[in-house]
Amino acid sequence: MVTPSIDLPNGLLMTRLKLPPWLVLLLPAILILMAVVLIPLLLSLYSSFTSYRLTRPDSITNWIGTFNYEKAAKDENFWAAFGRTVLFLTIALNLEMLFGLGLALMVSKVTKGQRLLRTVMMFPMMFSPILVGFQFKFIFNDNVGLVNNALQSLGLSSTAIPWLVDGKLALFSIAFAEIWMSTSVFGILILAGLYAIPQDPLEAAKVDGCTSWQSFRFVTLPFLMPFIYIAMAIRSLDVARAYDMVQIMTNGGPARRTELLWTLIGRTGYVDAKMGYANAMGYISIFLAIFFTVYFFKKLTSARAELGMGG
Amino acid sequence: MAQVHLRSVVKKYGGLQVVHAINLDIADGEFVVLVGPSGCGKSTTLRMIAGLEDISGGEVLIGDRVVNDLPPRERNLAMVFQNYALYPHMSVRENLGFSLKIAKRSQSEIDRAVDDAAEILSLTPLLDRKPGQLSGGQRQRVAMGRAIVRHPDVFLFDEPLSNLDAKLRTQMRVEIKKLHQRLKSTIVYVTHDQVEAMTLADRIVIMRDGHIEQIGTPLEVFERPNTTFVATFIGSPPMNMLPARVGGGRVVLTDGTAFDIPPGHKVEEGQDVIFGARADNIMPVGHSLPATEHVAEVKMSVQLTEPLGTETLLFAQLAGQEVQAKMLNPRPVASGEVLTFQINLDKCHLFDAETGASLRV
Amino acid sequence: MTTDRTHRNRKRALRIAHFIGLFIAMSIICIPGLWIVLNSFRPTVEIMAKPPVWIPNELNLDHYRAMFGGNGQGGVPVLTYFRNSMVISVTSTIIALLVGMGGGYAFARYRFKGKAALFVGLMATRAVPGVALSLPLFILFARIGIIDTHFGMILAYVAMNVPFTVWLIDGFFRQVPRELAEAAEIDGCTRWQAFWRVEFPVARAGIASAGIFAFLTSWNEYALASQLTRSVYSKTMPVGLLDFTSEFTLNWGGMCALAVLMIIPALILTFLVQKHLIAGLTFGGVKG
Ligand SMILES: Nc1ncnc2c1ncn2[C@@H]1O[C@H](COP(=O)(O)OP(=O)(O)OP(=O)(O)O)[C@@H](O)[C@H]1O
Ligand SMILES: [Mg+2]
Repeated sequence: MVTPSIDLPNGLLMTRLKLPPWLVLLLPAILILMAVVLIPLLLSLYSSFTSYRLTRPDSITNWIGTFNYEKAAKDENFWAAFGRTVLFLTIALNLEMLFGLGLALMVSKVTKGQRLLRTVMMFPMMFSPILVGFQFKFIFNDNVGLVNNALQSLGLSSTAIPWLVDGKLALFSIAFAEIWMSTSVFGILILAGLYAIPQDPLEAAKVDGCTSWQSFRFVTLPFLMPFIYIAMAIRSLDVARAYDMVQIMTNGGPARRTELLWTLIGRTGYVDAKMGYANAMGYISIFLAIFFTVYFFKKLTSARAELGMGG
Repeated sequence: MAQVHLRSVVKKYGGLQVVHAINLDIADGEFVVLVGPSGCGKSTTLRMIAGLEDISGGEVLIGDRVVNDLPPRERNLAMVFQNYALYPHMSVRENLGFSLKIAKRSQSEIDRAVDDAAEILSLTPLLDRKPGQLSGGQRQRVAMGRAIVRHPDVFLFDEPLSNLDAKLRTQMRVEIKKLHQRLKSTIVYVTHDQVEAMTLADRIVIMRDGHIEQIGTPLEVFERPNTTFVATFIGSPPMNMLPARVGGGRVVLTDGTAFDIPPGHKVEEGQDVIFGARADNIMPVGHSLPATEHVAEVKMSVQLTEPLGTETLLFAQLAGQEVQAKMLNPRPVASGEVLTFQINLDKCHLFDAETGASLRV
Repeated sequence: MTTDRTHRNRKRALRIAHFIGLFIAMSIICIPGLWIVLNSFRPTVEIMAKPPVWIPNELNLDHYRAMFGGNGQGGVPVLTYFRNSMVISVTSTIIALLVGMGGGYAFARYRFKGKAALFVGLMATRAVPGVALSLPLFILFARIGIIDTHFGMILAYVAMNVPFTVWLIDGFFRQVPRELAEAAEIDGCTRWQAFWRVEFPVARAGIASAGIFAFLTSWNEYALASQLTRSVYSKTMPVGLLDFTSEFTLNWGGMCALAVLMIIPALILTFLVQKHLIAGLTFGGVKG
């Protein structure tokens, strides 16, 4: 690399402060994220040690130590939501990956009209999560919903199935909506991976006597892994998008059967106005999200290295 | 006015030193080729001359100016990259004229320079294409054209031919040589192909692990290699290297075979040496060049032959090692056949076994 | 002979299975969206009919008319929402792109200590759930008085989009060989010229698609917007969807009409972006 000379955009600043050019380039990003993410998070860290209530602003100075965290640790509802969130994410992400893989494989085998199919595949990505929420609230509506209407018209069911009212069915319904919304991320990225697979090893495998399953298992799949991890990493960055959707569809109900961490936090903070407590729980959800992110980035790096694409 | 001087130039990446205080003086109009195995620091050296890489120590001079901290654009040089680095969003014409446009030359001047360069390199019919629509050889010519429109003081080439097939490579080699004769600019050319180095260079610089092993004209480095490394690196097939010891005023191989000391070498009794002889200087009796003054004869059994047409390459066994020899006016040789070979000692070399340095005086 | 025939039959069976599978998958993907579009053109009575009406008797624009109509007739200030959404999304996208271009370029072109850690750190800020961030951000914005303003929303969305634009743009710049900028410098460009005249044009399509992605994220965001906006002055369309709900009823038809309005720009942009988006993500991620 060349030593930056004064004619860089921030040349003046740099020669005076002697900041390395990469830092100058990254500084706006770092500053904005500090202002909008880091500082609020510090504030929420602080307020999680207070009894802050939205309705009484002065309560933010009321230091109560780790009380909120202890309360969360003892709160059955919190742990139920926590466990449900982890379970929900695990199941949803894995199913999305499987469906995405299947979808990508099917689309890649099509000879005509692949472009159209590819575009259709991305269709759900354009939907706002809250719109997805309303859409499926509508579709799973027990009275006028598309699903019940169809089942009844086909004579498969005589009664109205309470999709969003029964606890188990509600969980199924939100999982369905989540999977509908996010499978395309996997589908598209895995499809890109399929396009990028070099043909020689596949042909070699065929000649070596592999069945199609074997060549998929031993050639295609290992090659696809980095792509799957990218998709996982991207998804883990905004798994919380599901909050918008769940909030609309069930808002944690019925009777907390579909309560996820995010809906619990939202309600505690805004409806019950217990900001301090909500922030304490928020912190836990943040660590959960960051854990997922870092985990998948690590996986991505090692998968890359395995394919010799590291760097 | 474009000599290039490197004075104790050092390059470090963090703690890792990849170029070790090299000195090199390149005269105006000289064609210098840097060769060496992969990773020896050729590109790094070239990029330091170009200004693309910081210099960790020492000085680089172009003309009389120290250019250590001068950005590339002020060094008035042109560079042809290994992968050509053509601007994909510009047509061939725009690629060629880009540097003049940046220098704010008038449009008519740019057009003239571009047309001239295109003429020289037969690029005229391709001027309105984008680089993506060109073949490898055409892209290579555009890259050269981009360099010559500027009339730079120094041309830098970093393995410009390595992406071409063998035939095109030979052809382009000739083009580059013609170009040099015509433009008379200073050229620094990096390659790891020793044939390219031998055919193009006024002087060859052989590098190894960030050091310069030897600098000399092609004939010098071929006939008088300073080290075993240069001896094996330059010339094809590589020079045969046989471990030996000096005994009774003669060179004794590990199996007891003994030769006279090749003329021009200074050795001590009992010294461990390496005896080097090129295949061209080991030939079967009756299939060799007229004998010179100092000749040794050995019997060797031939294991394998490689007919090349006018000559045949013979793979024989001597002192437990494989030795390559040549046979002129070839006749078929059966595997296992034992032939008497003449070794032209005038063209043989002795190296110190420990340091690898030539023992020539 | 027999084995050849069984193979042929198996091939045919596979082909049929493939077709059916694809058909089902595509139906599941399409039907929910199309149903929304269909219902936006159907009168409410028909939507709510029991037993259901499968073949629409009449399609009309009533819901759209009502939506664009005055506040009195169940109308919603959609045009204002649309404008808010546009202003906020477009501005935040442009800023996020500029900031992301700096960051992405730094990651693609410079080596420095702690690069990997800084990269994951930046990404992790994106992983903070909107709902968890909205609480402290709400307090902070309320204190400095930028709650319910375009400025506040733009600031929040820039921060939300920067990590991802950095990632994408990093990927696109990596595809641009380093030698291009070097060649430009040797051709007489300054660093700055080399960037704008060579590297930027080459990566332009990719950067544009990063922009479209950022736009879609802002356009569709709800968790933050629902807390940081209060009134028609800054409410965006996703928040506006809630205007069709009241305590016990939901105006499905009207909501569907607004949904269609939201989807159209997203649809157009996604068509434009798809190819580059895939390339950017995979290059940035895999080859990185
Ligand atoms: N940015 C860098 N950081 C650390 N080490 C580097 C860097 N660039 C090059 N090196 C090391 O410097 C040494 C010399 O590299 P250089 O590119 O000059 O080799 P070369 O002689 O051109 O080889 P080749 O013939 O393969 O092109 C190599 O060992 C390489 O690993
Ligand atoms: Mg090199």
